[in-house]
Amino acid sequence: MTHVVSIRGLSKSFGRIQALTKVSFDVPSNSIFGLLGPNGAGKTTLFSIIADFLKADAGRVEVLGFDTRNIWKLCGRLSILPQDARFQRNVPILEQLVFFQLLAGRTKQQAQEEVLKSLELVGLQSFAKRRVGSLSHGMVKRLEIAQAFLGTPEVILLDEPTAGLDPASARQIRDLVKQLQKSTTIIVSSHNLDEIQELCDHVAILNLGNLVLSGSVDEITLADREYNLFLSRPLQNSELQQLSSIDGVRSMKMPSHEEGNHGKGSAEYLVTLNLSAEHVNQDDVLAAILRGVLDMGVTPRKITEGRSLESQFLQVTGGQSSHP
Amino acid sequence: MKLKTLTISHVRLISLYWSRYAVRSGSGLVYLMIALIFGLSVAHIIIMPVEQVITQQKRDMGKTDPQVISNTIIDLGQPIIQFVLGIKSLRQIAEESAAFQPRYLDTPKSAGAGKNGSGFDPWTSFLLEKRPALLSAIFLVLLFGMPFVISFLAYNQVSGDMQNHGLRYLLLRTERSSIYFGRFLGTVIFSTAVMAIIVITITFYLGMKTRLYPALDLAGWAAHGFLALSILMVPYIAVCSLISASVDSPFLSLVLAKVVIVGVLLLGGLGKLAWKPAKYLMYALPWGWQNNLLHPATIHWLGAALACLVYAGFFLFLGYYHFKRRDL
Repeated sequence: MTHVVSIRGLSKSFGRIQALTKVSFDVPSNSIFGLLGPNGAGKTTLFSIIADFLKADAGRVEVLGFDTRNIWKLCGRLSILPQDARFQRNVPILEQLVFFQLLAGRTKQQAQEEVLKSLELVGLQSFAKRRVGSLSHGMVKRLEIAQAFLGTPEVILLDEPTAGLDPASARQIRDLVKQLQKSTTIIVSSHNLDEIQELCDHVAILNLGNLVLSGSVDEITLADREYNLFLSRPLQNSELQQLSSIDGVRSMKMPSHEEGNHGKGSAEYLVTLNLSAEHVNQDDVLAAILRGVLDMGVTPRKITEGRSLESQFLQVTGGQSSHP
Repeated sequence: MKLKTLTISHVRLISLYWSRYAVRSGSGLVYLMIALIFGLSVAHIIIMPVEQVITQQKRDMGKTDPQVISNTIIDLGQPIIQFVLGIKSLRQIAEESAAFQPRYLDTPKSAGAGKNGSGFDPWTSFLLEKRPALLSAIFLVLLFGMPFVISFLAYNQVSGDMQNHGLRYLLLRTERSSIYFGRFLGTVIFSTAVMAIIVITITFYLGMKTRLYPALDLAGWAAHGFLALSILMVPYIAVCSLISASVDSPFLSLVLAKVVIVGVLLLGGLGKLAWKPAKYLMYALPWGWQNNLLHPATIHWLGAALACLVYAGFFLFLGYYHFKRRDL
């Protein structure tokens, strides 16, 4: 597996606050890589150093084989959705984005075509001649995403791409990111763990400026993979024990909001698998559980992937939510 | 500084975009208004007395006497020129004025002859007698005053976009050098365009209204004055560029630019009264020699123009060195 982004020993401090401490990880090519962490963990700082907005105190970043201290060598190949950057309010959208593409060496006509295509992706084509100052917060966010998708970048950094978007727009952006994965490596930071789990195949978790976990989502959740199992009726204790003893099942219990449901209605169970042993296969374990349930005369109504990543996240960050 | 990395086409694109944006953002319009009001007011104050004499003569005699008008211009221009050139202090000028009767109230015969070729140093004589004197006086005042005004245009070359992180949209699309030098160049282009508007307006007005000078003389000296003013703005824009790259707040950048430009002049000008070597402080900016841009000797004004570019280069280098290494 080749790596398009390689981060080695990255440290950065702002005065007495240590924002990043010797962070190292690699991002495989054509992956969607999630960067997770509580507020103040250093995600935006890390993005800013990758894009050479900020200068690292120590360490180095390579993108597509180039040291990002010479970021100009990556013009047109790396793009970013910065978290807190503002467009020029008094200039029409089209003019600003066309200017970006002129810098990328396009002719005016090519630039206009690319910009309109990019605006169409985020549903802003009819606002092309409007000034940025006249757009709503959500529309500005979509415009920011449009500028990140301009041209044909090989690596895209998206710092909280769906923050501030309505659910439909957020879904649109997630679908767009998935489509782009075929040709592009995308690094996404988000507080939305469900989103990261849905989108990403690899993640790195930062906490207080330290890298606490990094790897593929499958690897990370191997020992604690969660599923929500919806059954036609609650299980007896003996039935529950029987299912919990299946090889590969770590635990099976009612989630807290279902506790006390011993009636005859449907019931939800949280099943945690431990797939770390080599001979244990996820599909086999799930099939064994479903067979057992059916043998007990219970109808499985739905099975969904649980919040395995969130559990891992809370575990490694100790439930941190902000910088002390 | 890796000049080879400086992409000329990017600098050109950014400078043109920036000079257009200067108008849109409002700072360019503010500068245009202030510069026009200042420039045209100076011209009005200097030209008005001559216009009055012309009107009075036409009313009294039905025609104008060129000798009397010429003497009036010399009387008006002389104190301005000698003060700005540093030949006489305000006190000396005030003392002379107290004992002075305007010559246009005398008979034409008594006027003028005494001073021409007698009391003037060569530089004053050049500006008053060999070139259109009214234009010389206006240019000298503008050379003195425009450095105060230019910071209204040049204070926010990068500081505002550093504050709101707007530069981040550009940083992956071009080099920092292209952004820095492109915006500097855009500011210079805008400043030069405003200078052209001011000089053309004043020259046309002077030519049409007073009809004192041959058109060619007027146009030639106007072109020289325009070049002098335009070149003089370059080092001051570069100073503003350095300040703008050093602070994230546009307001602070404006205040610092004002303080530095005025402060150097005041420290040097007033400081020398207490301690003579303090006058050299004025050479921290072009204040100490900028009047040489209107010097009669070609070597002097060419040297002054070259010095402007050297100053600009120095400030630009410092600004870019900082901008390249700082967090954005």
